[in-house]
Amino acid sequence: MTRERTLAAAAWALPWLVCLAVYWPGLLAWFQQDDFAWLGLTMEIHSQQDFWRALFEPRAQGTIRPWSERAYFMGMYTLFGLDALPFRALVFATQLLNLFLLARFVQRLTGSLLTAGCAGLFWTVNPSLGGPMSWSSSYNQVMCTAFLLGALVLFQRYLETGRGGYYWAQMAVFVLGFGALEINIVYPAVAALVALVSKPRKAWATLPMFGISGVYFLLHSAMAAKPTTGPYARHYDASMLSTLWHYVYQSFGFNNLAELNLPPWLTQAASAMPYVLGAALLGFTFLMVWRRQWIALLPAGWFLCLIGPVLPLKDHLTDYYLVMPSIGLGLWMALAFHWGWRRGIWMRALVMAMAVTYVGAAATSGRTVARYNYDRSERARQLVMGVARARELHPGKTILLQGVGTELFWAAVNDQPFRLNGSNDVHLTPGSEEHIEAHPELGDVTAFVFPSGATLRALQGNKAVVYTLDQGRLRNITRSYRAVAATQLKDELARRIDAGHPAYAGQLGAGWEPITERYRWMGKRADAFLGGPRKDGEKLYLAGFCAAILLAKGPLHLTVRVDGVAFAPSKIEKPDGAFELIYPLPAGLAGKEKIHVEMELDRTYVPPEDGRELGLVFGSLAIR
Amino acid sequence: MRRLSLRGAAALLIFIVVAVTPYCRRKTARVETVEEDNTQLASVIQANDAKASLQLLKGFYEIEQGAWRWTKGQFSVTLKTPPQAGVKGAMLELALTVPEPVLQRTQTTTISAVVNGAALEPETFSKPGQYIYKRPVPASALQAEAVTIDFSLDKFLAAGVVEERELGVIVSSAGLLAQ
Repeated sequence: MTRERTLAAAAWALPWLVCLAVYWPGLLAWFQQDDFAWLGLTMEIHSQQDFWRALFEPRAQGTIRPWSERAYFMGMYTLFGLDALPFRALVFATQLLNLFLLARFVQRLTGSLLTAGCAGLFWTVNPSLGGPMSWSSSYNQVMCTAFLLGALVLFQRYLETGRGGYYWAQMAVFVLGFGALEINIVYPAVAALVALVSKPRKAWATLPMFGISGVYFLLHSAMAAKPTTGPYARHYDASMLSTLWHYVYQSFGFNNLAELNLPPWLTQAASAMPYVLGAALLGFTFLMVWRRQWIALLPAGWFLCLIGPVLPLKDHLTDYYLVMPSIGLGLWMALAFHWGWRRGIWMRALVMAMAVTYVGAAATSGRTVARYNYDRSERARQLVMGVARARELHPGKTILLQGVGTELFWAAVNDQPFRLNGSNDVHLTPGSEEHIEAHPELGDVTAFVFPSGATLRALQGNKAVVYTLDQGRLRNITRSYRAVAATQLKDELARRIDAGHPAYAGQLGAGWEPITERYRWMGKRADAFLGGPRKDGEKLYLAGFCAAILLAKGPLHLTVRVDGVAFAPSKIEKPDGAFELIYPLPAGLAGKEKIHVEMELDRTYVPPEDGRELGLVFGSLAIR
Repeated sequence: MRRLSLRGAAALLIFIVVAVTPYCRRKTARVETVEEDNTQLASVIQANDAKASLQLLKGFYEIEQGAWRWTKGQFSVTLKTPPQAGVKGAMLELALTVPEPVLQRTQTTTISAVVNGAALEPETFSKPGQYIYKRPVPASALQAEAVTIDFSLDKFLAAGVVEERELGVIVSSAGLLAQ
C-alpha cells in the first residue's frame, strides 16, 4: 500500500474509529425522556389522515422535522419496537457518513489529506456531539448534518466541473434537508462562503438557494406557532452577543471537565484553554488573511452561519446546538494544525501539543456525556421494562411507583413510556412530588401522583401494587408501603381527578357516562367534587377532547360553576382536538375539604344508535 | 493525490454496522421484578439506604455522595416503633450535620420534632458540625406499629439563596431506639 493510499484511508478511518471509541456507550444506550413521546406517535395513528398529520403537523415549539423525528421514530418503532440498538446504530451510521462527507469536502477544499483527517477528528471529539450520539431525540442534528455536508460535496463537484447534474442533485439534497432540521435554512449562506473561497465567480449559483430558504421561512412562519414565552421565546436584542460568547466558549468543550472532579489547578487550567486556543486560531486567521489566504475565513463564517439562528434563544442554551457549528471549529483547527505542521520542529510540537490537549479534553467530555446518557437510559429501561413485567404479573391492578426521584421522573415517567408496553394505569405514590424538582416547562409532576384517598382505598381493596426501583430491579413493596400509608395518608378528596380512571368515580357526581377506554363523556351537565385549593391563587384546570360533530353548528360554550359561583362561558372551537380551560378560583376556598364543580354545555350531540346525550370527553379536572 | 474512496468507505461502514449489531444486542424484552415482599419498616434508617426512601416521607432530597441527604426546612420520617415502646417509650436519635454555609447566613438554627402530636424539646445549633439530636419519646405517642415524626427548623436557606433548592440540614440517619 502506498503512503498516499494509507493517508487516504487514515483520513476517514481515524475519525471513524475515534468516534466509535468515544461514543461507544451511546451505541448501547436505551431510550429516555422525549424519545418516549416520539415513540408514542405511532399509537396516535388510526387512519391515513392520522399518519400524514403525525408526519407533518407542527409539534413541540413549532418544529416540523418529518424525517429526523417523526419518520425516524415511527418507522424504527414499527420495525424494532423498544429494541433501541437499531435506533442507535442508524445514528452512528449517519455520523460515520458525516465524517466521510466532511473528509471529502475538506480534501477537495484544501487538497490536503492531513487537513481532511484532522477536521473529522477535531469535529467528532467535540463534546457537543455527546448528546446526539447517545440520545435518539437529538438525531435531527446528526441527520441534518448529513444533508448539509451531502449537499456541499455535490455543490463542490458542481463548482469544479460545472455540470448541472451536480447542481440539481445538490438542490434536491438541500430541499430534503428541511425535513431534518430548521437550521438547514442557512445552507445557502454556507454554500456561498464555500463558493467565495474556492470559485468566487460561481457564487451567484447560490442565489436560487437563498430564494428557497426565504420561501421555507415564510411557510414555516405561517404554519408553526412561535413561542413568545418560556425557554423557546426569541429575544432579538443585545443578549444575542452574550449567547454567542457562551457558545464560542462552550464549543471548545473544556468547561464540561468541571464535572469530573479534577484537581482545582487542572480545572482552572482547563477553563483557560478556550482563550489559548481561541487566540491561536485568531492569530492564524489574521496571518492567513494578511497573506490573502481567504480560505481561513471559512471556518469562522461557517460557525457564525450555523449558530446564528439559535442566538435569540437566550433561555435555552444547549450543547447540541453546537453540533453543526463545531464543524467550523474542527475545520479551523485542522487548517491551523496543517499550517503549523509544516513550519519546523518547534511549531510542529506546539500545534501537536494544542491538538492533543483539545482532543484529550474534548473526547473526555464527550465520553462523559455519552456515559451519562447511557446510565440515565439504563435506569429508564429498568423502570419501563420492569413495569411491563409488573403489569403481566398484576393485570387489572393499579401500579404505584415509590421513590421516583427527579432524575428518573424526567427521564422515564413524564413522557408516558408505560403506554408503549400497554401499561396505562401507572402512577406515583402520594407525596412523590415532594422528592421531584419541578420543571413546569417540561410537565406537571402532580398529574402523575395518585391521590391519598384513592391510594388508601386501592390498597385496602387489594387493587393496587407498589413498586420501587432498587438496584436495577423493581421490587414489590406493597406490604411495607401499606404500613407507611396507614400512618401517613389521609382519606381526603383528590385535587386532581382523572375522569377515565375508576379510582376517581366516587368524586364524580351526576351527568357522566361510563368509562370508555381511558376517558369519560359528560352529558349536557356534569358535576365533580375536588379537594379545595391549598392556598389562594390556585386555579381550576379542565382538560379533555372535543369531537368535531359538536362544533358542526359553531363554537361550543361551557359554563363552569365552583361552589355556586359561575365563570363567564368558555368557548371551544377546535374540532377533534384537545382543550385545556383554566379558571382562577375565587378567594376563600383555600383549605376547604371539598369544592363542588358544575359544568354545563350549551349544546350536545345525540348519536342516533343509542340516544345518549354526549358532550365533551374528559380528561382531567385539577386544582393547583 | 489519492481521493477518498466512496466505495471503500461504504463497505467499511456496512461492515462495522453488520459486525457490531449482533454482538451488542441486549435483552430488552423482559426485566424481571422482585416479587417477594419481605421488606419491613425499620426502627432505624440510614439516609444512604435506597430502600429507606419509603420511610423518608417528605422534605428529603436524593442521596448525595452515597452517604447523606439534604433536607428542606421541614422534613418527616416514618419509623417502626421498637418492641415495648408502647410501654416504656423510646429514644429518638437523628444524626445530622449543620453545614457552615447555612449557619453563615442564619447564625443559629433550632430543630424541633413532633411525634404523634407530642412535641419534643427543641435543640439550637450555633456552630457548624455533626450532631445527634437525641430526645426521649413518651410511650403514649408510640402506641401504633409505626409513627411519623415531623421535624422542623426555625431557620434554613430559602430556595434561591445558595442554590435553587431550599436547604436545611444534612441527615445521615434517624432512629427510634428501645429504652
